[in-house]
Amino acid sequence: MKPMGTENPGRPNFPARSAATPFAPASQTSMPFLSSGPVVGSEASAFRPTPPTAPQTSMAFLSSGPGVGSEASGFRPSPPARSYGPSVPPPPPSYVPPVGGSFQRFPTPQFPSTAQGPPTRGPPVGQSVLSPPMQPPVGQVQSPPVSLRPQQLSSVPMGSPPQSVNFPPSSVNVPQAPLDSSFSAPRQTLHPSFPPLESSYPAARTTLQPSFPGYPSRQSNAVLQAPSVQSPFPAHQGGYAPAPPAPSSPFLAHQGGYVPPPPVAAPLGLHSREQMQYPGSGPPIGTIQGLAEDFNSLSLGSIPGSIDPGLDSKALPRPLDGDVEPNSFAEMYPMNCNSRYLRLTTFGIPSSQSLISRWQLPLGAVVCPLAEAPDGEEVPIVNFAPTGIIRCRRCRTYVNPYVTFTDGGRKWRCNICALLNDVSGDYFAHLDASGRRIDLDQRPELTKGSVEFVAPTEYMVRPPMPPLYFFLIDVSLSAVRSGMVEIVAQTIRSCLDELPGFPRTQIGFITFDSTIHFYNMKSSLTQPQMMVVSDLDDIFVPLPDDLLVNLSESRSVVETFLDSLPSMFQDNVNLESAFGPALKAAFMVMSQLGGKLLIFQNTLPSLGVGRLRLRGDDLRVYGTDKEHALRIPEDPFYKQMAADFTKYQIGVNIYAFSDKYTDIASLGTLAKYTGGQVYYYPSFQSAIHKERLRHELARDLTRETAWEAVMRIRCGKGVRFTSYHGNFMLRSTDLLALPAVDCDKAFAMQMSLEETLLTTQTVYFQVALLYTSSSGERRIRVHTAAAPVVTDLGEMYRHADTGAIVSLFCRLAIEKTLSHKLEDARNSVQSRIVKALREYRNLYAVQHRLGGRMIYPESLKFLPLYGLALCKSTPLRGGYADAQLDERCAAGYTMMALPVKGLLKLLYPSLIRIDEYLTKGSAQVDEFKNIFKRLPLAAESLDSRGLYIYDDGFRFVIWFGRMLSPDIAMNLLGVDFAGDLTRVSLCEQDSEMSRKLMGLLKKFRESDPSYYQLCHLVRQGEQPREGFFLLTNLVEDQIGGTNGYADWILQIHRQVQQTA
Amino acid sequence: MAWELILWFIFFIINIALLALNLYQIICLSDLESDYLNPYELASRINAVVLPEFILQGVFSVLFLLKGHWFMFLLTVPITYYHTMLYMNRKHLIDVTEVFSVLSSQKKYRIIKLGFYLFFFTIVIVRIFAAGILFFNRSEFGELDIRSSVLEF
Repeated sequence: MKPMGTENPGRPNFPARSAATPFAPASQTSMPFLSSGPVVGSEASAFRPTPPTAPQTSMAFLSSGPGVGSEASGFRPSPPARSYGPSVPPPPPSYVPPVGGSFQRFPTPQFPSTAQGPPTRGPPVGQSVLSPPMQPPVGQVQSPPVSLRPQQLSSVPMGSPPQSVNFPPSSVNVPQAPLDSSFSAPRQTLHPSFPPLESSYPAARTTLQPSFPGYPSRQSNAVLQAPSVQSPFPAHQGGYAPAPPAPSSPFLAHQGGYVPPPPVAAPLGLHSREQMQYPGSGPPIGTIQGLAEDFNSLSLGSIPGSIDPGLDSKALPRPLDGDVEPNSFAEMYPMNCNSRYLRLTTFGIPSSQSLISRWQLPLGAVVCPLAEAPDGEEVPIVNFAPTGIIRCRRCRTYVNPYVTFTDGGRKWRCNICALLNDVSGDYFAHLDASGRRIDLDQRPELTKGSVEFVAPTEYMVRPPMPPLYFFLIDVSLSAVRSGMVEIVAQTIRSCLDELPGFPRTQIGFITFDSTIHFYNMKSSLTQPQMMVVSDLDDIFVPLPDDLLVNLSESRSVVETFLDSLPSMFQDNVNLESAFGPALKAAFMVMSQLGGKLLIFQNTLPSLGVGRLRLRGDDLRVYGTDKEHALRIPEDPFYKQMAADFTKYQIGVNIYAFSDKYTDIASLGTLAKYTGGQVYYYPSFQSAIHKERLRHELARDLTRETAWEAVMRIRCGKGVRFTSYHGNFMLRSTDLLALPAVDCDKAFAMQMSLEETLLTTQTVYFQVALLYTSSSGERRIRVHTAAAPVVTDLGEMYRHADTGAIVSLFCRLAIEKTLSHKLEDARNSVQSRIVKALREYRNLYAVQHRLGGRMIYPESLKFLPLYGLALCKSTPLRGGYADAQLDERCAAGYTMMALPVKGLLKLLYPSLIRIDEYLTKGSAQVDEFKNIFKRLPLAAESLDSRGLYIYDDGFRFVIWFGRMLSPDIAMNLLGVDFAGDLTRVSLCEQDSEMSRKLMGLLKKFRESDPSYYQLCHLVRQGEQPREGFFLLTNLVEDQIGGTNGYADWILQIHRQVQQTA
Repeated sequence: MAWELILWFIFFIINIALLALNLYQIICLSDLESDYLNPYELASRINAVVLPEFILQGVFSVLFLLKGHWFMFLLTVPITYYHTMLYMNRKHLIDVTEVFSVLSSQKKYRIIKLGFYLFFFTIVIVRIFAAGILFFNRSEFGELDIRSSVLEF
């Protein structure tokens, strides 16, 4: 179950409810519990029995997690406590009894109602119901509950909507909630000194209560705050509904003071604990994740020598379901474009500058204008031929579903600038009684968030260009030797039929080593004619008209050329590369038309303009202020060329193959400013990398491409996009020039408020991409989205979209590595996460007295993990030795263009155990989604008896456990399965198992066709390959000097608290 | 004393030129901001005048030193130093690919420089008048004129 239950009270809530019920009457509760999970039930039961308070404290610690348990013991002075640790459930019981008694008594009457209420009605009801329960406690028990009540009550109205969203998590938390709450109280006291804990415990309680009384007096305040309070809950929302009961019960039992925290805190504690127990019971971890983690044992400092992180690593949230998009807004604004085209970092647009400054995360959007749509959801094409495209006179917004028609249909009001525009006669339609146009059904532009307009001639500065592919191929010794030239020639030849834009497609070639070779491929020739230019200082283009030819006319010449290309240079012994002059020559040939330039480069440019040094990876430079210079282009020639390419509508894709340093930093600049991308095949060997190059080149050549495009994003008054991040060049302050763009490119942008206060209720965004399609039609693709303006910071956090935030973070960090040290870039990521969590904490921690807990909004639960993964990603990780400079730069260029989903997968790849699937035999491939569960990326997940596949979207690593049955290995690898895995390539063997595996890989590859995942085989314990391919990529582990996940969370938590 | 006047007149000319170059760059940048100019044109226009400006400014500064106006020289040193730094780091030219990300800082830098130049402009004007007055009225007041010692800083 996903955390995002959103508006479905029914499904998501159910678990919650069951959980909630447990709280009230013991009998009742137990029932639901069992339903949810046997383990929990046992726990609960165990709970009541044990009275001792001391155990409780121990519990709290233990709560952190089973794994942690042993360490936790270290914490505790008393051995008994430790003993509890392992068996968490028992301790609570001791505690509970007293509580339980009171608890049961009063709650019984109320809770039943709650339990029933919420399930039937939905979240809001649940809350309201809940509030009543609270009251009884108050009367019976003490003042503390009273204080609670106000908050919850107030929250009820507000919270109800949010609740629905997050229900599922809450459910999980609920059961534990009582525990935690009880614990929490002790915990607070704990920090100071352990022994006192128990004794102090009662005292603590008493003290707490006084404070509560205070609360009531403050009630008014509480109420005011309530909204804010809710927001926290909503964040967890799932937890919310159930939470109320939990808090109440705990309160009664012991801590009055605790009350508010329970919802939040309780979940935390619960999670960790529950997970330990739950695993058996079965609820997926995903559901368990709540708002926060229980950090009760964080006050380690007081115990010298202890290294207990106090947190259960299993309980930490992990995106094992992949990218979860917040979809509540798709429901709220059904006419918005799909999130694959546009994602905002938060769907609550802040209403004021001060809110922005408190929202410590980037505020912006990630746009992928040409994202591939599944069948049936293609963007409709609208032709306004007679009318001309309908746009707002003032702000030039395109007509979209959010414009309103008035004055009987004669005028329309622009949703972005509110200007009243006239409706032209051809576009006029009457309005019906409700003010809708009667022809609404036939107007996709008025009902769909994404449409494509056919642009008339006003949108052209020249006739639409034909698709043009130009190839610049390195034929020096190493390029030929590696087999690159051959594969490239074969692939291009096989793609000739599928190049888009037949019959207008143009094509041309240049090859180079120390000289530049041009090819005349005029259709009247039977053989291509080669011309060699060796004057590198003064490049000229011979026969400028015949170097670029129409593919359909010169097809046979082109084919002859491609067939003979590998053999033409097979004896070439030239080691030099006149890359710069060749680039200039290509530019001269292409500048008439523009198009796409594919560069296949193998040798470091050594001749003529633009030659590069082996500046290499100098160990000594790392850590100094000059470090970043390695990652920026060395020679301004490349930037200048990139700018010129963009100016003449030429997009550049770089394919780099060298086994030595090739200065991707400089070469990649060409792709970066022309909307292209960098493919890097280190140490290319055709035997190994053939498939990958073939697939990726074929995709590059055949995917739908938008030519000579410009993109602009407009937004409502008061908001402005200020900076853009990705592979493109800005032509004016807000116009992105994209000579060739396709579905695999995404762009990120940040926005700011122009005015101090936004007065509108909704902000609209409109992405418009003006391009020439391969068919030669000028088109405008328009995506429109609306987002509400919010005045509350909690609301912003609740509507945050982790995927978009991580995407922006990633781009900002990579940009930072171009002007700062790697260390600084990593620190900036961390500090922004810390600041955001601190701000969030400040929102709620004070009123909830969360003490040592780490709290974060449900929507951002994966943010710390992705932050960690980002710091360990190739462009940012470590220092000199941790990644080759070229690899770093290539990965940086790639990540700057990746759409959100691809990026998240790269940051947190999937790790799946497949041996069971392979051996079981019966399972259908189709249901593999159900069979395969993604595992946490930690070495612990690897069982030496298993076979695992690691998939980060760019490659597969298949890991053979040491004790994997030899049968499997033999079935998969053939007879030489025991040999050296570097030389074994995975191919289909004549066995069911092998066929299954290949089918599986195929399936995985199909899920993301933009890159080809090459398969690497690794055997456990086979160093250094295992380390290189897999172990360094297990982001949750401690590798080298980096943090593991648990440590990272701990570190963030400490920092959050330090300066809170 | 006629040389003095001529010299200050040279300073005056150089200063006017610096002011003009600087203003031109600022105007180009604001044109870019309001989309009257594309980045390519902006880069070629500004980059064409950057080096002349640096050289002119260097001459301006060195002339002060040669003439012995060490205090005026000291006033010009910050700009000279900054120019040298930019040049040594190869950051003096506008990078056409990243114009928009550096736009505001470039503009700020030039406006501050404009302020400096305006400051020199006033001083130079004062000195021209002072030199002129001294030159034409020397006979009347002779070497004892208190103004000469005040202005001769």
